[in-house]
Amino acid sequence: MKLDFSTEEQAFRSEIATWLKQNLTGEFAQLKFCGGPGNEHRSPQQRKRWEQKLAEGGWSCIGWPQQYGGRSCSIEQQVIFHEEYHRAGAPGRLSLLGEGLAGPTIIAFGNEAQKQKYLPGIVAGTELWCQGYSEPGAGSDLASVKTKACFNETQGKWLINGQKVWTSLAHQADYCFVIARTNPASTAHKGLGFFLVKMDQPGIEVRGIKQITGTSEFNEVFFNNAECDAEGIIGAPGDGWKIAMGLLGFERGVSTLGLQMQFRNELNEIIRIAKQNNAYRDPAIRQRIAQSHAELKIMRYNALRMLSAQAENGTLQKEALIYKVFWASWHQNLGELAIDVMGPEGQILDKSNSGSEYTLNHLQAMYLFARADTIYGGTNEIQRNIIAERGLGMPKEPRA
Amino acid sequence: MDFTFTKDQQLYHDSVKRFLTAKVTTEYIRQSWASHTGSSAKLWQGLVELGLTAMLVPKAYQGLGMKLLDFILLAQECGRVALPEPLLETTMVATPILGTLAEKDPRCRSLLHKIAAGEARIAVLHTVNNLISDAHNADWLLLPKSDQLHLLARDQVRLTAQASIDPSRRLFTVEWQGSSETCLTSGTEGVALLAFILNCGALATAAQLLGLAEAMLAMTVQYTIDRQQFGRPIGANQALKHHLANCAVATEFAKAPLYRAAYTVSQRPSQADLAISHAKVAAGEAAVLTAKHCIQAHGAMGYTWECDLHIFMKRAWTLDKFWGPAGFHKNRLRLWLMDTKAKIGADQTFSTQS
Repeated sequence: MKLDFSTEEQAFRSEIATWLKQNLTGEFAQLKFCGGPGNEHRSPQQRKRWEQKLAEGGWSCIGWPQQYGGRSCSIEQQVIFHEEYHRAGAPGRLSLLGEGLAGPTIIAFGNEAQKQKYLPGIVAGTELWCQGYSEPGAGSDLASVKTKACFNETQGKWLINGQKVWTSLAHQADYCFVIARTNPASTAHKGLGFFLVKMDQPGIEVRGIKQITGTSEFNEVFFNNAECDAEGIIGAPGDGWKIAMGLLGFERGVSTLGLQMQFRNELNEIIRIAKQNNAYRDPAIRQRIAQSHAELKIMRYNALRMLSAQAENGTLQKEALIYKVFWASWHQNLGELAIDVMGPEGQILDKSNSGSEYTLNHLQAMYLFARADTIYGGTNEIQRNIIAERGLGMPKEPRA
Repeated sequence: MDFTFTKDQQLYHDSVKRFLTAKVTTEYIRQSWASHTGSSAKLWQGLVELGLTAMLVPKAYQGLGMKLLDFILLAQECGRVALPEPLLETTMVATPILGTLAEKDPRCRSLLHKIAAGEARIAVLHTVNNLISDAHNADWLLLPKSDQLHLLARDQVRLTAQASIDPSRRLFTVEWQGSSETCLTSGTEGVALLAFILNCGALATAAQLLGLAEAMLAMTVQYTIDRQQFGRPIGANQALKHHLANCAVATEFAKAPLYRAAYTVSQRPSQADLAISHAKVAAGEAAVLTAKHCIQAHGAMGYTWECDLHIFMKRAWTLDKFWGPAGFHKNRLRLWLMDTKAKIGADQTFSTQS
């Protein structure tokens, strides 16, 4: 055990902190604390340029192997990067799904030609990705996808038909990774394929879904004979489920540590308001603030502990299963604390209105967005089933 | 001992419920968001014709002379449909206050006549809120200042709209100058009436919160029956059943303290603080818990603007913070319990008065 960062790691920390300080300026200064819940829609062009700025500085895909354009950073370095990134208030990452999900999947399961074709754009921050998993009838029951992919011999292409939903950033993405049924006679997780599909084509229509925050970050995506090159399928037809599940493992990776720095910023803001408006005098509020702090520390220590184990044996321990339900519930409680601390005034929309009629301030947006934390990426109920069934070895629920 | 409502109370409740369910649909509420005032003269007239504005006005001023207890089920119905009209501020808060002052103050008498006839709407400010709801549609405002209570016409004050998270409840800050002319009461009586305003506001809010909780629960139960995953309705899963069952327990058990509070205001005013704080805490907790589990059971669908659930959730979240949040009311309970004269101890636990 070693709970301090080494001198080299401290130097790495000051390197990224200095870079951010020097570069989150000029046209990028306005992006500070932007691109989070409630303002996902703001400044997309500038944020895409920011991705390219990061790439120029060598700060994209830092955890990827060097041979694919990354920096082969250690777990500790990645932790430090995410902490400093969020401490500086740098904007929400538009390339999150490419860097965190699509890229690692292509590295793990793709062939050499696919790596050559898709990875450089992710590293350079020039090509953005979105994730085509959920469908109207396939939410928690992800394997019941109905979207079909059929290989057309004359065109030499896959033709995709169906609909995806809750697709974050689809309106900005250049590519979508899609799971679709390659064998029409198959059911559940058998007979699925994993496709890399170009978004800019006549066969794809993206429609924004307005959220309770009044903004629109996720979308419906309609596939009507959408084309995908013969080389755009990862693995073989039928491998889709295995690949998709491998990818979900990446979702519980290091980037969640950066999330904690964002959480820390939010908790600090709540404490500042509680002192300012005297909400802290309510003993119940004081207890909840202390509780939030204690649990945030628990999250951090456990994340570091899980990642240490991952660094040692290359895989996340089963403890990783508990992480999503813990942070999602914690963050939702933090939202409730924020809105309680703000009192009746907390019901007033943001006055620094930027054109939209329904403009939430940062903590209001966080409060509403945190309602979704326990839903997306596997609901709390699904997470608890996973903990019980895979973690504790309890009998599976009967399935129809 | 009888905790039930009379036949008359129930019949009237049924007709108000039918009217509100038919008129105040979620389509209606969505239209009101886009309208200039967010209010409808036709709907207000319907509420007047049902006798709602006259109910609590004393008979001497052309009212029906009923009590807050008679109104409590109706307030719950206003919550159930998330009514976007300032009905309860006028009826459950302003009317009882004006009634108290009517004998000695002709302004209050004249205003009560107008309220009963549906010709006056009143908005009410209190220091626990600092914001006043639906003041743009009010003809008169009741405004507190230290131990004084003032009555000003809308054109005597300056309102600044404050857009709210709940688009169907319009909030304002108000700037105003009172004078001896506008002052209705002050001193000991003023302090007592301001406390009464708080209690009436909290009671009306608790009733709405309960109605909102029931509405959210009903629509979510239906959703868990309709929505299929893993080849069966999602409501078949214990995890969701237990969430919604917990909401049902909280909501059902908040009813008794609510009805007891409405009874207490009329029958045992000395215990009103305690009873109303209890009701507000219980109803607020039920509504907030229900909102939390209902959006969870709806999955991502409940997070969309298109799904009607947020109409009710946002109202519940807002009302939970108004007329004293949970911490404020729990503190009032604590003060009562810690008082040296508090009626606690074995011989008081099940006293003859509940």
